[in-house]
Amino acid sequence: MSRPSARALFVWTIVWFNLVFLALPTVVVIIASFTAGNIVAFPPDGLSLRWYASLFETDSYTDAFLRSLYVAVICTVISLPVGTLAAIAMARYRLRLAGPIQVYLLLPFTIPLIVSGLGMMLVFGEIRILGQLWPVGFAACAINLPFMIWAVAASVNNLDTDLENAAANCGAPPLVTFVTVTLPAVMPGVITGGLLMFILAFNEFIVSLMLVDARIVTLPVLVYNSIRSVITPDLAAIAVVYIVVALVTIWVLDRLVGLEVFLKSK
Amino acid sequence: MTPGIDTAASNRPLWLRILFAAEATRAALWPERFSPATAWAFLVPAILVVFVLVAGMGYMVDASLRELDRSTFMLSDDYSFANYATVLDRSFYWHIIGRTVAAAVIVTVITLVLAFPYAYAMARTPSAATRKLLLIGLFLPFFIGQVVRAYGWLIVLGQEGLLNSGLAWLGLDAIKLIYTYTGVLIGLVQYMLPFAVLMLAPAVTAVPEEVELASGSLGANWFATLWHVLLPMAKPGLVAAGVVVFTLTITDFAMPEIMGGGTNDFIASAIYDGYFSISEPGLGSALAVLLVLLASTLVAVIFAFVGVGTLGYTKRLER
Amino acid sequence: MTQRPLTPSRSLILPRRRLLAGAGALGAAGALGGTSLLSRLARAQDVEKPEEIIVRAWGGVWVESLDTGVSQPFTDATGIAVRHDLTEDNEIRPRIWAAVDQGRVPPIHINWDTTTNATKSALRGVTEDLSDLPNLDGLLPAAQPVGFDGYPIVNTYSYVYVMAYREEVFPEGPPTSWNVMLEDRFRGRVALYDDGIGFHPVAVILGGGSMDDIPDNMEPAWEWLRRLKEQEPLLGEDPDFTTWFQNGEIDVACTIISNARAAKQNGIPVSWTVPEEGAKVDTDGLWIPKGLPENELYWAKEYINYALSAEAMEVWCNSLGLPPTRPGLTPPEDLAGDPAYPSSEADFDRLISVPTPVLVEHEADWFAAFNEIMQG
Repeated sequence: MSRPSARALFVWTIVWFNLVFLALPTVVVIIASFTAGNIVAFPPDGLSLRWYASLFETDSYTDAFLRSLYVAVICTVISLPVGTLAAIAMARYRLRLAGPIQVYLLLPFTIPLIVSGLGMMLVFGEIRILGQLWPVGFAACAINLPFMIWAVAASVNNLDTDLENAAANCGAPPLVTFVTVTLPAVMPGVITGGLLMFILAFNEFIVSLMLVDARIVTLPVLVYNSIRSVITPDLAAIAVVYIVVALVTIWVLDRLVGLEVFLKSK
Repeated sequence: MTPGIDTAASNRPLWLRILFAAEATRAALWPERFSPATAWAFLVPAILVVFVLVAGMGYMVDASLRELDRSTFMLSDDYSFANYATVLDRSFYWHIIGRTVAAAVIVTVITLVLAFPYAYAMARTPSAATRKLLLIGLFLPFFIGQVVRAYGWLIVLGQEGLLNSGLAWLGLDAIKLIYTYTGVLIGLVQYMLPFAVLMLAPAVTAVPEEVELASGSLGANWFATLWHVLLPMAKPGLVAAGVVVFTLTITDFAMPEIMGGGTNDFIASAIYDGYFSISEPGLGSALAVLLVLLASTLVAVIFAFVGVGTLGYTKRLER
Repeated sequence: MTQRPLTPSRSLILPRRRLLAGAGALGAAGALGGTSLLSRLARAQDVEKPEEIIVRAWGGVWVESLDTGVSQPFTDATGIAVRHDLTEDNEIRPRIWAAVDQGRVPPIHINWDTTTNATKSALRGVTEDLSDLPNLDGLLPAAQPVGFDGYPIVNTYSYVYVMAYREEVFPEGPPTSWNVMLEDRFRGRVALYDDGIGFHPVAVILGGGSMDDIPDNMEPAWEWLRRLKEQEPLLGEDPDFTTWFQNGEIDVACTIISNARAAKQNGIPVSWTVPEEGAKVDTDGLWIPKGLPENELYWAKEYINYALSAEAMEVWCNSLGLPPTRPGLTPPEDLAGDPAYPSSEADFDRLISVPTPVLVEHEADWFAAFNEIMQG
């Protein structure tokens, strides 16, 4: 590399800025969660684990946590095939009406979440599935689907049509080609997309607010509702529990498939 | 097509046998003559999932054409454009629409500028450990919900927060960021940054390092290479990231609500007020319909401008 | 379109009447109310009990007070668990309306709501009639919502939108006028509710108008608020005020007394006052959405009936620091004589009260006008 220093200076200055920028509010909340006082304060008013203790003693939190997990799993399970297929269709084939379809498939982002939430409340109410938990997972899939599609589509770049053609020419039937050539090529996008869908569904509160009732309330809705009246440090503690879950998920993913998969196809 | 592979061979591993069984099922249900329609078959599930939102919008379009009767708090039976007239008539809505679109543009530009080097560093760093750290740095903020994160921002950017304490320590004047338009933009950029990086990373990875090196060895400095080679080649990723950030910002509700101090509402806040604060679902719906039309039109214009084929194949043609 | 009757349909009430008759001694016990109520509840065994009933409530001090004063004793007496749904009042309303429209069971059994919003639901006809609750006896006239024959809602207490202030900023004692909000030193350090609720009528007075100007001439209010806008006020909801006072972001705010009192009890150096121009007083109430199964409706009514008893009301309202609509209860010690805790006719006269029908018809416009000024 001829001029690594100017490049390195430019790139790493911005990267470090981003890291601090991304981490700052998170770190502050983590520290504040260990307060011994009654209110979220920084620096914390003495150190203690009391808010974590109260978290685990409260059944409503643990139940809501498990429900959120369920919602996130449903969302991911639906998104993986639906989004992957759509992305391959968009990127791999020349479609007539590709423009309108792109705009249509972006509706989840161009419709404000409150409107999506109210709309799905009416639709689900009409077909009598409101009050169950799985439609909340479906809803999370519907509002975030573009992430899945775009994540996979971005990695279709790695897809080599020659390789697919070669497989077909060697007599591999379409499904076999799809499973052994196409899918592995887009796997980084599928995993990135799947993880995004999981995280987003796990944290979703605006649409869920319209779809859950007190019996099936999810954790982000519970947090959102309690924050509307009073903000106590247990909410910061919940955030930290979320981070621990995130770290574990990422660690598991790293052990299973390797984090490299996000960036490099096999 | 005659299968060139003996699907019945019993010495194959189990997964292959399952795969060939599936292939046979596929051949029965979706014969080769259907193959021109395969792309559409791939799209149908996604179209159906999104259709739930479209059906929901149907209710909104209907409500937007009815007026509220304040003696019964029911919507009128007959249709009119009164709600749209109200929206277009109030300068304050125009003001909010302008503020929202401006925010979407600013946030998109800043986010892309910040995200590209990050994605680039992730793709190019030789160290696996560094790459992992960069990825974790990206994913962790997701897990602090927007609301709690806003609380963190208050501690950092507040009038007596960390930033201003630091400035005071340096002998500088305090700056007011929290509960200002700038504060909302800061919160939005921070929220959007991970999405943008994740959309960009595969595109940057797809640019072979050799191309960059070749450009460098021809005497171009890196910034020229960045401008003339890297950015054009990463265009699909930039468009993807840009469209995602733009649409998410233009419809965002939470960030202006919690970082704006109540005086920096976006369109979604006005829609929320219509439905919830003032029980005027017709008015809220009219605003919602206008916002969806506006955002979709802008997206269509972007696609028309940079080409629909931003995903995938144009990329390959450039190579 | 057909005009809906102001009183909700009675047809759903009749079966319940028969149920009560079937319960034998219940009719007699019901008339006693008060302390005998728990025994009445305990004996009403033949109406099938739901496992739980869901009560929508505001969080923080609000839900804690309801839980201690009403929900826990109710559960102790009946064995029916009470679940509190902390969804915002504004956010639950469209969901209840949609449930009734679509003929579904509503997401909650009881809504604890502002009287203005509850009245909108009552006008829409989604509320059950509560006229036959025995414990309505002895309540103040304010308990009955204006414009209805019966009780689609029961108002349970009054509350005042006080001026809350940071004590250290006013060492000479509480500010006497809302006009301090316009002083230079409070630039960017004043807060109101994000729709201006609780402040519009006060602003009319501040802008040189009088009560007679409401609702036809609100211009004085908008004039005054435009001056306030120059002060760059913060706009928020209940938790924001607490946070802002705590983090030193604001010095003066218009908020409900319960929030200021809870903040003070949590060690935040905040106090409150009713300035010379007065302060808006309003009421909250309880109501039951239509569409519940009959037995759940029965027990939801029993819950409200119990909430209206002297023993429940005293604990509930005292921990909120609000005067109940039942006379003769002991007020909390720290609030005796406080103008923000009105208990006599004279006390109420010093406050600003806007009739509910006026609020129902015009408040949405006031919110819009307020927004137009503040978002500009």
